[in-house]
Amino acid sequence: MNHRIIYGFLAVSAMNSAMAENINPIAKGQAMAWQCAPCHGTNGQEFEESMPPIAAMPAEQFTKAMLDFRQGDRPATIMDRVAKGFTDEEIKAMASWFELQPKKQWVDTSLEEAQLSLDATRGQK
Amino acid sequence: MSQLEHKTFEQKINRRDLIKLFGASVVAASGIFGASEKAFAKNAPNVVVLGGGVGGSSFAKYLRFANPDVKITLIEKHPEYITCFRSNDVIVGMHTLDELTFNHQVLQSKYKVNVLIDEVTGADFSKKTVKTAKGETLAYDKLVVSPGIDFKFADTEGFDAEVAAGKFPHAYKAGAKTLELRKQLINLPKGGTAIIAPPENPYRCPPGPYERASLFADYLKVHNPTAKLLVLDPKDRFTKDGPFKKAWERLYGFKTDNAMIEWVSGSEGGKVNRLDTKNMTVETDSGNHKADLINLIPNQRAGKLAQNLGLTNNSGWCPVDRNSMESLLHKEVYVLGDSTIADAMPKSGYSANSQAKVCAQAVSDTLQGNQLGKAVYANVCFSLAGENYGVSISAIYEVRDGLIQPKGGSAGVSPITDKAGLPILEATYQKNWQRNFVKDVFS
Ligand SMILES: Cc1cc2nc3c(=O)[nH]c(=O)nc-3n(C[C@H](O)[C@H](O)[C@H](O)COP(=O)(O)OP(=O)(O)OC[C@H]3O[C@@H](n4cnc5c(N)ncnc54)[C@H](O)[C@@H]3O)c2cc1C
Ligand code: HEC
Repeated sequence: MNHRIIYGFLAVSAMNSAMAENINPIAKGQAMAWQCAPCHGTNGQEFEESMPPIAAMPAEQFTKAMLDFRQGDRPATIMDRVAKGFTDEEIKAMASWFELQPKKQWVDTSLEEAQLSLDATRGQK
Repeated sequence: MSQLEHKTFEQKINRRDLIKLFGASVVAASGIFGASEKAFAKNAPNVVVLGGGVGGSSFAKYLRFANPDVKITLIEKHPEYITCFRSNDVIVGMHTLDELTFNHQVLQSKYKVNVLIDEVTGADFSKKTVKTAKGETLAYDKLVVSPGIDFKFADTEGFDAEVAAGKFPHAYKAGAKTLELRKQLINLPKGGTAIIAPPENPYRCPPGPYERASLFADYLKVHNPTAKLLVLDPKDRFTKDGPFKKAWERLYGFKTDNAMIEWVSGSEGGKVNRLDTKNMTVETDSGNHKADLINLIPNQRAGKLAQNLGLTNNSGWCPVDRNSMESLLHKEVYVLGDSTIADAMPKSGYSANSQAKVCAQAVSDTLQGNQLGKAVYANVCFSLAGENYGVSISAIYEVRDGLIQPKGGSAGVSPITDKAGLPILEATYQKNWQRNFVKDVFS
């Protein structure tokens, strides 16, 4: 019960802050980051397959990887093409979002946990 | 059901079996399995989703991510969903249909989606209600429709739904007919001829017929090496044709005297005009071809439900607002997946999932009175050109000039190189992708 109330409350306060300036980098990052899930797992949390997990990856490491893929400086089968779809700013927005995701399989993660890890940071700004 | 028949009375029957026996709505209603007990506020908006395939299921899950408080009901006519992706592999025995079978249990338990197994029969847009075959009437604030495709059998003389249900399965919806096609491939006489006839654009899974052709050849090479496969195409080009044809050269002697696959393009007269079921012959612009196996994949249009609800225009597909997937014909109704007109995006599972996420955010933002963000979509299709030879096509998309178009330099297909490792890796990723993808859709 408790969880649910907290979950609902935080989600609403996050919505309000996102609304205030419309281009909250985390909210913007999320919409793009969702698009990576078919390969990297929901929220990047697929740790058991041959495609690498990207949840909880330090933002700096994430950004470097994406820029290297985009420039062709890192060998890739698919990420060279994917990375060419994003600007520096968009990569940064995704980097901050993925960094916040729990480092565990998505199936073992509750909705509350996922929401809390995001909202903790959103609330502070 | 067949699984149940092998069970003994001592054996526990699991939820999967129960659903098979009774249907998911009955099982859910019994409450035994802890279906949604979350109490939603009385005035919480009602979002009703029609179709629990890739688009509908992905939407329901991601709407819950975007909005913890909205009521979500999903209506799907089948208690289980068999994925089309990787069903070509089932035809050649790489794995079984069971491995491609999923249900909506986690949508109910984890995402608090009310799942009804029922057929939607109509909607009243002015009253904002939908009707089902079991006699339910449900009210909605927002309606989301993702019904897949319907077939235009009449485009080919001699072909119809009944013929397809018999000895001429298109196997373009996965299920029993996938296995019928498998049986026909296994029973192909030594040195016999098989025909695959892909449809006109646009259709579900553009690489699907060519992946199927590749896997047929892969199978025949081992089990029936003197057999021939003829691909009779109404088109002059097809998706990933560069990497596919290169793979065919490398693996199946394409363009040599011993070619296992022959491809006849539209301008060479590949278009099939008539099917003669009695004489096992197809008539094309360039003459008649007799065969032992004929796999005609019909031309397509938006799912019947979309047509019946009046969501299609005269192209046979559903026009939508590119930033939200809201129907251009009916307000507060959204369309996803194969049924839509999505410009550069192919009709794929990946696209349906991608559109579902954009739409979930848009519906949530609209309900909250927020301004809509800019849509970013993605699609990647991996196909097998051989069991261990993968090829891919991919792009990230944005809305430009009112159309969904590739973003930046992201659009492309697998490069053709001399490195054997690349297609092997892509084959691994094809299998990996399917396992990850169904988790993103159904759990
Ligand atoms: C051979 C083959 C291979 C493929 N391979 C790939 C691949 O590798 N990658 C990829 O991304 N895509 C692939 N696809 C394409 C993919 O399967 C589709 O694009 C995807 O399923 C589209 O999702 P959808 O939600 O539009 O329709 P669907 O997934 O078909 O879902 C529609 C749902 O609506 C339900 N429904 C319809 N009418 C009603 C009604 N009146 N009442 C209640 N329920 C209803 C149906 O039962 C169904 O469950 C492949 C397709 C084929 C045929
Ligand atoms: C079609 C599947 C696919 C999609 C879609 C995809 N990726 Fe990847 N990703 C891969 C693969 C495979 C690799 C390994 C490198 C390669 O072969 O391209 C990878 C590697 C990465 C890495 C490096 C990981 C590491 O451990 O160094 C990052 C970061 C990454 N992807 C981010 C993303 C982001 C962000 C998106 C969405 C915008 C995305 N990917 C979409 C398949 C995919």
